Amino acid sequence: MSAPTRSQVLGLYTTMLRTSRTFASYNFRNYFIRRTKEKFREHANETNPAKVSELYQDGMKELEVLRRAAVVNRLYEGPKLVVEKERLGRAAGLGGGGAGMEASVGGAGQPTGA
Amino acid sequence: MLTRQLAAPLRRSLPSTSRALGSVRTFVQPTPASHASVQDVSPVPPRGPPSQSQAAEAAAHFAPSSQMLGFKLEVPRREESTLRPIYLDVQATAPMDPRVLDAMLPYYTDQYGNPHSRTHAYGWEAEKAVEVARKEVADLIGAEDKDIVFTSGATESNNMIIKGVARFHKEKRNHIITTQTEHKCVLDSCRKLQEEGFEVTYLPVQTDGLIRLSDLASAIRPTTSLVSIMAVNNETGVIQPLKEIGALVKQHRGVYFHSDCAQAVGKIPLDVDEAQLDLVSISGHKIYGPKGVGAAYVRRRPRVRLEPILSGGGQERGLRSGTLPAPLIVGLGEACRLAKLEMAADHKRISALSHRLISGITTQVSHIVRNGSATGYPGCVNLSFSYVEGESLLMALKDVALSSGSACTSASLEPSYVLRALGAAEDMAHSSLRFGIGRFTTEEEIDFVVRRIVSVVNKLRDMSPLWEMVQEGIDISTIDWTQH
Repeated sequence: MSAPTRSQVLGLYTTMLRTSRTFASYNFRNYFIRRTKEKFREHANETNPAKVSELYQDGMKELEVLRRAAVVNRLYEGPKLVVEKERLGRAAGLGGGGAGMEASVGGAGQPTGA
Repeated sequence: MLTRQLAAPLRRSLPSTSRALGSVRTFVQPTPASHASVQDVSPVPPRGPPSQSQAAEAAAHFAPSSQMLGFKLEVPRREESTLRPIYLDVQATAPMDPRVLDAMLPYYTDQYGNPHSRTHAYGWEAEKAVEVARKEVADLIGAEDKDIVFTSGATESNNMIIKGVARFHKEKRNHIITTQTEHKCVLDSCRKLQEEGFEVTYLPVQTDGLIRLSDLASAIRPTTSLVSIMAVNNETGVIQPLKEIGALVKQHRGVYFHSDCAQAVGKIPLDVDEAQLDLVSISGHKIYGPKGVGAAYVRRRPRVRLEPILSGGGQERGLRSGTLPAPLIVGLGEACRLAKLEMAADHKRISALSHRLISGITTQVSHIVRNGSATGYPGCVNLSFSYVEGESLLMALKDVALSSGSACTSASLEPSYVLRALGAAEDMAHSSLRFGIGRFTTEEEIDFVVRRIVSVVNKLRDMSPLWEMVQEGIDISTIDWTQH
């Protein structure tokens, strides 16, 4: 099969990025966004049409997997992570959203003799 | 009584139900599974200040009655939506990669056949999937697919291999060599064999966690049947020189070399031929695969013989009877395929995050010791914070999921035996934290953890009289604590 055009590859890239953003889990979302960018950048200068075609086919397959995986991930969405809350708080100008869970421990390692 | 109360709101909402579909949600709201709760369907009290009788009625609404037939109906008290802590414990278990789950789901839904059924298509498709997975696992460690035996996890693999090899060669050889820093399941298997009359040598480790090759060479006897040394330590991340150990073991005929590679497979390059390994234990959930599945590599050429623990249908070359869990094995296979693809990128990323974590903490807090060799696996960072007690540190770090050692022993307050074997003083072994960095960890999380650790350690040290004495220049080790 012929090599995909530039716009096809770019289309795959944007769709993969958009799909990665639909993961509910903070860690999975960030991972797939980062890896998508890295993988496309890694092969940005690929000129061999056969290789480009192969990479494109792999990408299309992975896109399907990501689509389904993101749906499942959204179905079982859990509470947000502490870092997400902190970022939301900062963005809204509230500041220091993650604070308030300070140590409430007493007397660690205190010697008892005397 | 209950029926009357339920009937009232039902009647009331019926007209509205017919008007709009959305109002059906008065009864069942689509919420995320984690937020699911029983909806109170009691009639809405009239507006205005609630009278005492109404409050009493509301409280008694879900009181158990004989009509409930012993089923307890409780309204869960919805807590303030708590945020999830950051997960930095991938040595205990790693989150399953979403791509792995996607590969498994067809075998949980549509393709449910028994892979051992030879008479119909359901069996064939499951068998084919299992064999593809076997190939993926074998490829990851440079083995042949027929060498792989699927088990329920690394613990089963270790038990099967250590007990199996020892018992098979019991007549002529009754000696086993392992190290003091092995995982509990290896040490306990060895202890069981000792009860059966075997002799076991537990090799000591140096302060960096590595064994001395000369110790191993002098420990091998003519009666030794097995040398079992783990590749990556689960508490300190120390990587043992498998290649050198393999070469040394292979100078002696009839001694088999086993390695517990649960923490190494998929994270560092591993080749069974290069390291001259005869037996390897692999775990699924440490490499972003499903829990409850693992594998054992048992070399066929030259053949390693072992006595199976399970008797039964003779599956898996007779070594591990029992129906193979096709969905889990597909998951393990996909996890291994991804691990092979992503290993280089993962390792680079994890090294960078590990460096970020260590330099972030050590530049802001003093008196920190890194346990184990610095050249170990970067995704496992074991730090001891002097003059701070590890458990209180963990209690204070509510928004970071960490452990002070292995998950198997995290319930006890005993200091880690691995750190003790490294020669750490008792107080340092007590104040250790293990940071597990994985594929899905982000920079933001690392920065958050560094901030929390720094603030909590400083706070605990400010409270500690020991720290005060250290600041005043008193050498704590010279104090006689037991005087009265």
